[in-house]
Amino acid sequence: MYSRDLDGKTYTFGVSGKLWRDALLMYDHQTRSLWSHITGEAIQGPLKGKRLKLLVSMPQIAWKTWQLNYPGTRVLSVPTRGGMREEISRDSYAGYHASQDTGVSGMEYTDNRLPNKSLVIGVQIPARNGTTQFRAYPLTHFAETAVINDMLGEVPLLIFHDKASFATAVFKRNVGQDVRTFSSQASHFVEDNTGTRWNTVTGEATSGKDKGKRLERLPAVNIYWFAWARYYPETTIYSQ
Amino acid sequence: MKNYTIILILLLAITACASAEDREDYSGDAIRTLLPFDAIPAITEPQFVSAGAAKLDPDAPVIGVTFNDESHAYSLYLLNGHEIVNDVVGGMNIATTW
Repeated sequence: MYSRDLDGKTYTFGVSGKLWRDALLMYDHQTRSLWSHITGEAIQGPLKGKRLKLLVSMPQIAWKTWQLNYPGTRVLSVPTRGGMREEISRDSYAGYHASQDTGVSGMEYTDNRLPNKSLVIGVQIPARNGTTQFRAYPLTHFAETAVINDMLGEVPLLIFHDKASFATAVFKRNVGQDVRTFSSQASHFVEDNTGTRWNTVTGEATSGKDKGKRLERLPAVNIYWFAWARYYPETTIYSQ
Repeated sequence: MKNYTIILILLLAITACASAEDREDYSGDAIRTLLPFDAIPAITEPQFVSAGAAKLDPDAPVIGVTFNDESHAYSLYLLNGHEIVNDVVGGMNIATTW
């Protein structure tokens, strides 16, 4: 999820059909620069070296849970021969997900710290010195709990993943200067060490002393390890 | 966000011979053309329906985004065929990518 605004101009994007590092490249209609959708950086063309601003979203969530929290939501619908359509009921890539395939380039993926096709939550945090810190959170950590409390550099992080619905959310786990420690509650709720209960879809406190306050959400992706490690080889991996 | 290689598996059946000759010295950082521009049609003028009118399975995976009290949901399986939605949500110009 990126902003289309860059240096005071607004761009629109299409699919270039070109491949780089086993991933398709976007292009912008205005300059035909080529952009990596994984890093948001232009790698060729007039805007080479520019970077799109990463925005927050729920990268994956069950429709019923999204609708419950945002009943006023609008839903993308596309015209088809049979009328408008909001859904294709089948994942065309289910076979790929189930396989060990890692792309079509034939290149070897050599970062064996995790199995290639294991899923991770990828988080990136800008550090004070202008660099960026990357960390992968393997989904295997979420078998018993939906919550990881972590520090990445100086930033205290709440990593949420509900294995039942596959919902992922990442927040800073501080309220003002007060760093909290979170634990899992039912469904998409978590509770901190002050007894405040938070909704991870909206980021809002629903009961407790901070009711009505919001946690700051951070960009996050669900991604295969081989791809995350290919783009961000300096990434660390969370371990308990 | 999804790894774009997913769609390429599907396309490989069409373009199976395209990559054979340069595979041996493929560095991983070369830009290769697999398809023409816009062969996968990104959405530039998205249309929406209300939550009540949406025909979605309750458990269907969606990307959810909310800015300035305006929210949009995009079915992941629908996005497989488009990859990019050029959208405006709560006054923000966004590219939803999958």
